[in-house]
Amino acid sequence: MKRINCNPRPGWKAFAESVGFNFHTFDGEPYWDETAYYQFSLAQIEQDLEDPTEQLHQMALDLVDDIVTSEQKLTQLAIPEPFWDAVLASWRAKEPHLYGRMDFSYNGKGPAKLLELNYDTPTSLYETGFFQWVWLEDMLMRGALPQGADQFNSLQDKLQQAFSELNLPQPFYFASVTESIEDKGTVDYLMDIALQAGVNCRYIQLEQLGDIDGQLVDLDGFPIQGLFKLYPWEFMLQEDFASTILTSQTQFIEPLWKCLLSNKGILPLLWQKYQGHPNLLPAFFDDGSNLQPGWLRKPLLSREGANIELLTDDGKRLTQDGPYNDSGYIRQQLAALPQFDNNYTLIGSWVVGDSAAGIGIREDNSLITKDSSRFVPHIILD
Amino acid sequence: MNQQFKRSKTARLIMMVPAAGLVLAGCGEKPVEVQVFNTPDECAAYYNPPAECKAAFAEAKALHPQVAPRYANKQECETDFGIGQCESAPVVAANNTESTPQQSQQSSGFFMPMMMGFMAGQMLNRGGMASAPQQQTASATRSPVPNQPLYKSRDDRSTFRTATNTAVASQPGTTSIRPSAVQPKAGSLARRGGFGAQAARRSSSSFGG
Repeated sequence: MKRINCNPRPGWKAFAESVGFNFHTFDGEPYWDETAYYQFSLAQIEQDLEDPTEQLHQMALDLVDDIVTSEQKLTQLAIPEPFWDAVLASWRAKEPHLYGRMDFSYNGKGPAKLLELNYDTPTSLYETGFFQWVWLEDMLMRGALPQGADQFNSLQDKLQQAFSELNLPQPFYFASVTESIEDKGTVDYLMDIALQAGVNCRYIQLEQLGDIDGQLVDLDGFPIQGLFKLYPWEFMLQEDFASTILTSQTQFIEPLWKCLLSNKGILPLLWQKYQGHPNLLPAFFDDGSNLQPGWLRKPLLSREGANIELLTDDGKRLTQDGPYNDSGYIRQQLAALPQFDNNYTLIGSWVVGDSAAGIGIREDNSLITKDSSRFVPHIILD
Repeated sequence: MNQQFKRSKTARLIMMVPAAGLVLAGCGEKPVEVQVFNTPDECAAYYNPPAECKAAFAEAKALHPQVAPRYANKQECETDFGIGQCESAPVVAANNTESTPQQSQQSSGFFMPMMMGFMAGQMLNRGGMASAPQQQTASATRSPVPNQPLYKSRDDRSTFRTATNTAVASQPGTTSIRPSAVQPKAGSLARRGGFGAQAARRSSSSFGG
């Protein structure tokens, strides 16, 4: 695994915008960054990332069985009690799931360490599945990369296959928060793939979802039988329409049981069950005591690096503010992100259905990866 | 191909890449011919395929509880539609598929007029007779004129009206209408804005992660 500087393709921004990538720049700073790429060996990809991803995914699924029947664990994960039965029912009914992403600290040697699961509303999907793929093909065509360079990125193929096999109710709706351009981009990408898989897709702004007698309805008042929502379950469970979730005859993607795996509390539970597993870090529910050097504290429910407190091995404290200070916390042993040319590098490893489906790399100048962290492409070359 | 690649074979987009878009304005909308009937038997008597008549009637019947105007009590409903012409409105529940609807039997506490006839929007597509009703997709049944229930008001028992009170015909058979005037809307008012409050409170560029 190494980081190699390279020249951006001339005119790539205009091209990006022409294919719907409207969030390539974040607050004036580059988000998509093609001034460098990472190179992996095939063995690194297959043995250190792909195999552990599928193994950890199965371990997480096995854990769901333990959680849904344990009041103690449901309480530890702060799942609101009125929804316990619905979570259990959603799991027992084997409601299908589409995708997830796990984040790793990995430097090319030794086992990748699982930092967390993003199993409800994972993003950076378009950048990984489409734009990174196009970058590789384009660079190969220009002779700017060695012939034979490949990429661990079957994301779009696997998503299309999943959409064609999920047998979704139709029309199938996709919803995201109106104000988020990035989330709309992600949803547009998923709708595009679903459309190619033959799904009759409709978009509805999340805030426009309606309720008639406890049934979710579209703008014309027709029942919504299938809904992809790019909006976290933990929010939905505490908003005005929370009770609608219990009564509406709607198949959700991701299904309700995914709220267990998108919760950081899954990390201590994984450690309890599989203590010593090479890809896991010691993790515990937070008892409120002072952090020891080499540990970090993060909320049960948060995203994009928000509200994380971290103490390096030499006792330096790092904190990241954010809007997620209202849930419980866990603590996890620090697996400091590796540094390449002064960049801290994090690997997001995708799962579609139950298969590993590729990686996307984020870089930041801090140990905490955030929504503004740059996305850098990668290649496989032996 | 000998080599096993680790990347997608293709990655194409069909929707995100904007085509030279054609925006259809509302002006110059052409009327289309539809048929209205009291019953499926009457429909068949007008030389329509009986199976299609039954299917159109079934679709209209399924739509009826979703689009019929709703009243808080029976008296108000009967004022508009006549004594004995109203029924209790069920809770609207999701269908398994749009062609085989399942209506909840649970009463919503509201009242609605009884369905007095139906409009068949699909059968006159003589060029497109191949599409059997049970194979029609949701978009096909909704466009341009969905099969839908019709009603008759208390003071005008001969005129067929849509759920939104658009008069469409005064006798059974073929009639001509503008599609935009007869698009069904849900009869009951949806509550909206029940999701998204957390997003508004926690300002962020994304609610994924």
